[in-house]
Amino acid sequence: MSDTPEIIRIGEGVYRVVIDGRAHFAYVAGAGADLWLHWNGQVFHRPFDDERFDRQRTRSVGAHQSLSAPMPGTVLKVHVEAGSAVHQGDTLVILEAMKMELPIRSAGDGIVKAVHCHEGELVQPGVVLVELE
Amino acid sequence: MIERLLIANRGEIAVRIAHACRELGIESIAVYSDADANAAHVAVAARAVRLGPPPASDSYLNIHALLDAARMTKADAVHPGYGFLSENAAFAAACHDAGLLFVGPPANAIAKMGSKINARRVAEAAGVPVVPGHTPADQSDGGIIGALESVGFPALVKASAGGGGRGMREVRDLAGAEAIVQSARREAQAAFGDGTLYVERLIDTPHHVEIQIFADTHGNTVHLFERECSAQRRHQKVIEESPSPLLTPVLRQRMTDAAIRAARAVGYVNAGTCEFLVDFSRGANGETPFYFLEMNTRLQVEHPVTEQVAGVDLVRAQLLVASGEPLPWTQPSLVQRGHAVEARVYAEDPAQGFLPQAGRLLLYREPRHPGVRIDSGFREGDTVGVHYDALLAKVIATAETRDLAIARLLSALRDFPILGIRTNIPFLMRLLETEAFRSGTVHTGFLDSEGAYLAADPAAAPPEFLRDVVNAVREQRLPIEGAAPSSWDPWVGTRGWNVR
Repeated sequence: MSDTPEIIRIGEGVYRVVIDGRAHFAYVAGAGADLWLHWNGQVFHRPFDDERFDRQRTRSVGAHQSLSAPMPGTVLKVHVEAGSAVHQGDTLVILEAMKMELPIRSAGDGIVKAVHCHEGELVQPGVVLVELE
Repeated sequence: MIERLLIANRGEIAVRIAHACRELGIESIAVYSDADANAAHVAVAARAVRLGPPPASDSYLNIHALLDAARMTKADAVHPGYGFLSENAAFAAACHDAGLLFVGPPANAIAKMGSKINARRVAEAAGVPVVPGHTPADQSDGGIIGALESVGFPALVKASAGGGGRGMREVRDLAGAEAIVQSARREAQAAFGDGTLYVERLIDTPHHVEIQIFADTHGNTVHLFERECSAQRRHQKVIEESPSPLLTPVLRQRMTDAAIRAARAVGYVNAGTCEFLVDFSRGANGETPFYFLEMNTRLQVEHPVTEQVAGVDLVRAQLLVASGEPLPWTQPSLVQRGHAVEARVYAEDPAQGFLPQAGRLLLYREPRHPGVRIDSGFREGDTVGVHYDALLAKVIATAETRDLAIARLLSALRDFPILGIRTNIPFLMRLLETEAFRSGTVHTGFLDSEGAYLAADPAAAPPEFLRDVVNAVREQRLPIEGAAPSSWDPWVGTRGWNVR
């Protein structure tokens, strides 16, 4: 029989979870929908994905998708505008982080529905940069 | 003795060398590209000098910038680490010309071992076995078949003029050899405009076994036994260990003798490694054939497994020898004790064809277990960039036996949470659990052929009881990132917080 787990935070991002009398350790990091979970040597990105907390998620399936910043950075170049036709692999936006350029590429073919960033803007991870349809 | 050492490298090896400097009272000087200004190897060194922009050609490979940094900081020696300029004879010579001690072999030894063809010639002349092969003068069908018989079956015929597998054919036995030779010649002619064929013994499932050697400027050369590095993915070593699970004392003796002969043949000084292919499918009991592959004229990534089983500090010895001191050991004083296994933790996603991963290490906690050593160049909060090798850390487990060392390594990898980017840890754990690895039969082709399934993500979902933790963190019902009032500190409050 499973009881309600008892959860104790034992350090930054570290939780001791006791279920049925047995202790487990879980490490959680990230913010919003973009959470990472480590348990018993396994890593889960976006575990128990929940739409309620997931307004900014990148959808990898379906006709509609959005591309978000994978790490904090400055928008160096925006190569598209609303209405642009893009193909899979096209570079839509170039981010700069730690003096490095990071191209944000389209995961599929489509039309740009909206661009949510401008050149020179500082963006945080998870923020939607471009929406496609 | 060296007073100020410029470490011409980055990442875990630069950190490793800086630690050795501290022990010896040497002032360490780090160098960095703009991408590494806040890196661990910069933080740990006594001084740090900027080299240039992130691309390696503008920074860690920029000989001019490195020599300027040495001059500016009044360094008297340079340690090249591994990779980058470590096997660049011109860099070693440039250091020498600038009045700097180069912590490594003389430039001419690097040059002699740098070309594979020349290294093969040197090895042969020193009586070190190389993979039997040659380009027969008689290029007729009969001449090639005679050459095949002399190198032994199975064998390879390949185009003498080029590589890339064009014109390359396996010949398993005499039957059908003629047709294979003719087709190889046609393909070589078509691909390179030259039908000349090279004939070589084919080693089916070779093991990569390398011998660590060390020489000083007083004429002493010793070996520090072997490392087995057969678990490789596309020629990239993944797991290394010492001793080799398959080497017999007789074979070890033959191989270490050969390695020392090769080192002496080029007037080697400092730490070096002779790499061999070993064909365990042939020759029983000490007759097992082994073949010289190449000599690495530098410290190896996997040097810690040797340090663990031989109880030595190779970097410290490198600095002593470079300063002109004799080796801190004699051959009889060196013994192998216990077993050490190292796993390389890379920022790469095995499920996506081992795609390198870049991003911030949101959470990074190295395990603290007995018998486990971590050599790393990153800390929590650091950003893993895209400009350099994706090696995050090396996890080295040491124990009395091989089985215990593997169990210890698995346990350490299971307790090494890295969040924010994908790593190859799940792949390493699956590899360590395979029957092939456990029995020591992993050969250099294993991971690229039958081991491919290890890369696949089994895509298991986390256990349901963790849903509450994740949701509580999401809804900020549980504090994250240290924003906790002290009452949530378990060392203050003794009662657990029940989430409901």
